[in-house]
Amino acid sequence: MKRKDTVKLISADEMEFIIDKDAAMVSQTIGNMLTSPGGFAEMELGEVTFPEISAVILEKICQYFYWALQYSRFVFLYQCLVCVNAVDILNG
Amino acid sequence: MSNQKKRIFQIEAFQNRVVVDPKYAEKTWKILVHAIHEIYNHNASGLSFEELYRNAYNMVLHKFGEKLYSGLVTTMTAHLKEISKSIEAAQGNLFLEELNRKWNDHNKALQMIRDILMYMDRTYIPDTHKTPVHEPGLNLWRDNIIHSGKIQSRLLSTLLELVHRERTGEVIDRGLMRNIVKMLMDLGSSIYQEDFEKPFLEVSAEFYRGESQKFIECYDCGDYLKKAEIRLNEEIERVTHYLDAKSEGKITNVVEKEMIANHMMRLVHMENSGLVNMLLNDKHGDLGRMYNLFRRVPNGLAMIRDVMTSHLRETGKQLVTDAESLKDPVEYVQRLLDEKEKYDGIISLAFSNDKTFQNALNSSFEYFINLNSRSPEFISLFVDDKLRKGLKGVSEGDVEIILDKVMMIFRYLQEKDVFEKYYKQHLAKRLLSLIVKLKTACGYQYTSKLEGMFTDMKTSQDTMQGFCSSHPELTDGPTLVVQVLTTGSWPTQPSITCHLSFEMSALCEKFRSYYLGTHTDIKAIFGKGQKHELNVSTYQMCVLMLFNNADRLCYKEIEQGTAIPASDLKRCLQSMACVKGKNVLRKEPMSKDIGEDDSFFVNEKFASKFYKVKVGTVVAQKESEPEKQETRQRVEEDRKPQIEAAIVRIMKSRKVLDHNNIIAEVTKQLQSRFLANPTEIKKRIESLIEREFLERDNSDRKMYRYLA
Repeated sequence: MKRKDTVKLISADEMEFIIDKDAAMVSQTIGNMLTSPGGFAEMELGEVTFPEISAVILEKICQYFYWALQYSRFVFLYQCLVCVNAVDILNG
Repeated sequence: MSNQKKRIFQIEAFQNRVVVDPKYAEKTWKILVHAIHEIYNHNASGLSFEELYRNAYNMVLHKFGEKLYSGLVTTMTAHLKEISKSIEAAQGNLFLEELNRKWNDHNKALQMIRDILMYMDRTYIPDTHKTPVHEPGLNLWRDNIIHSGKIQSRLLSTLLELVHRERTGEVIDRGLMRNIVKMLMDLGSSIYQEDFEKPFLEVSAEFYRGESQKFIECYDCGDYLKKAEIRLNEEIERVTHYLDAKSEGKITNVVEKEMIANHMMRLVHMENSGLVNMLLNDKHGDLGRMYNLFRRVPNGLAMIRDVMTSHLRETGKQLVTDAESLKDPVEYVQRLLDEKEKYDGIISLAFSNDKTFQNALNSSFEYFINLNSRSPEFISLFVDDKLRKGLKGVSEGDVEIILDKVMMIFRYLQEKDVFEKYYKQHLAKRLLSLIVKLKTACGYQYTSKLEGMFTDMKTSQDTMQGFCSSHPELTDGPTLVVQVLTTGSWPTQPSITCHLSFEMSALCEKFRSYYLGTHTDIKAIFGKGQKHELNVSTYQMCVLMLFNNADRLCYKEIEQGTAIPASDLKRCLQSMACVKGKNVLRKEPMSKDIGEDDSFFVNEKFASKFYKVKVGTVVAQKESEPEKQETRQRVEEDRKPQIEAAIVRIMKSRKVLDHNNIIAEVTKQLQSRFLANPTEIKKRIESLIEREFLERDNSDRKMYRYLA
């Protein structure tokens, strides 16, 4: 059931949020958690527990992740276009 | 819960709500220490990243960042001391492996710690201007491990020993070497240089010093160079495999210095195998190797060049003074050519066309070729010989090539005019002999004139010289240039008879008597310059000489005195009296044409800017009637074949054509040259029909057909 590129975020009140890894990576901390060489528990299980964050908050956070992802993608795309344009101009 | 909520949404406000449990920091820290401990023991899987991160976060948040940071340093130091002990304990070969393994572990741990303490890195560190976690991590490693008394020297000696073993032919674990070296590089380039590179270079220098000494005793030059090259390549390969790329230049310098620069002199001058020997035996491979190796050291190439130059000069000098080859000029030059070719080959194959070497070659050749003053002569004889052979059927291409090579040698001659002199003589002889051959091939008549011309030229020169030398008293008189010509050989020059002035006749007589002493009848023709130094034709001279004895002469007197034919005389007088700027004579009356009653005076007022004045001969203004007719006729004659050719061309392409069209076409074709006369064209067509080039069409009298 669990796809490879998702993570589970668990709130203090044991609400589980399954989101894409990409979205989770928006947070560098979570990213580090998942990619740290140490073999922490999180990486093993593919889930991160936040005993101090409530579900409501966590929900908002997940929403933020997705928004940030889209925005950053957008930003990224925009930057790409600008570059292409600049290259074009420079090449005459 | 609500605290957290507030914390996240109103970050500023949190101070007030914090639970400042004095033991809180201690507790939290203990958790972290424990975690670090576990990390170092490879037990991280039991830990929750999130928990540790949160703890670190809290500590920083609660202003315990300082404690966190210093605590971290202490803990890590303690761990590293442990590690150092275990490394020291490692035996023999395992030392390096252990070191490598622990290094990898440390790196991993460091990263994990850094991840956990990320918040501290991002907030506390910038505020306090401390260095991010990673750095103290490396520094601690450096201080406690690498620079730990026991380990430092052992590490270095192990590394150097491995390198040495590899140099002596053993196989070592290159991967391990690479990792260790990389570790040193990661710790900082100064570490790499101080702790490894410098000693490495020193040891290498010593090694190669010893090796080169050994080699130079055992091997000859060629082999030694091979060995040196191998070693050099080896070192370069070593660098690519497990050393810092920046070391390449340094180590190659060491090898070059020890193996090449220090022994340059000895190598080059090695008996029976040194540079000279290589040159003599065209050992291109060895020479090329020497060039490439010596190129790397200062003055290497200069040395090769100098030795080559002096050797070349020696051999060259021997060549040109060798009695044997001097007997046969062709052989002499051939040997020069061979030598040049040899060195050209060496320079292009072994010395990669190095310009400086080319220049050295050129200067050497120039030097010794000119040592022998007969070189120009020999070269001209050689060319002569080759041309002669060229006629015999050696392919033209080959002769060309040989001549090109000779040209190169020729450039070295300093006395090129000597060559010219000799060559002229030889060429003349050559041409004469060519004529002789033509004579045998085509008969006497064909070549007699040509032969005559050449013989004449030669004889003239010789006779002139002979005459001048046997009559030294004449040198201050009018100078004489005589061309002794055989009548009939030379293109028509009507033999002129004229009376010459007294002095000229005297001179003439003298020459005639001299000449007659050796040859049969001739007519002497003079051409001369005078006073203001006038350059005049023979006739003009005769006329002028008359004025030596008289101030004024009338036309008839001049005519009588010189016996020059009327038309020529008129022209002659015209050019001398009527041409502006060249009027050495005055005429009365001052008209353009010469009349029979005109008188002539010497023009006292004659002045010219130049000392030497050339008085030309006026061209005849009008052609006389009979002459005109003659010219016309000749032209017509010339036109006939042209018309015929045009007709044939047209008919060939058209096959059938009627009369009017032919006329039109022919006229059009020839209009660039002359306007063709239709009657003439008709005549030509008739003639062509007679000769069966064309035929009239049977049905239509106006049509002509081309006969193949």
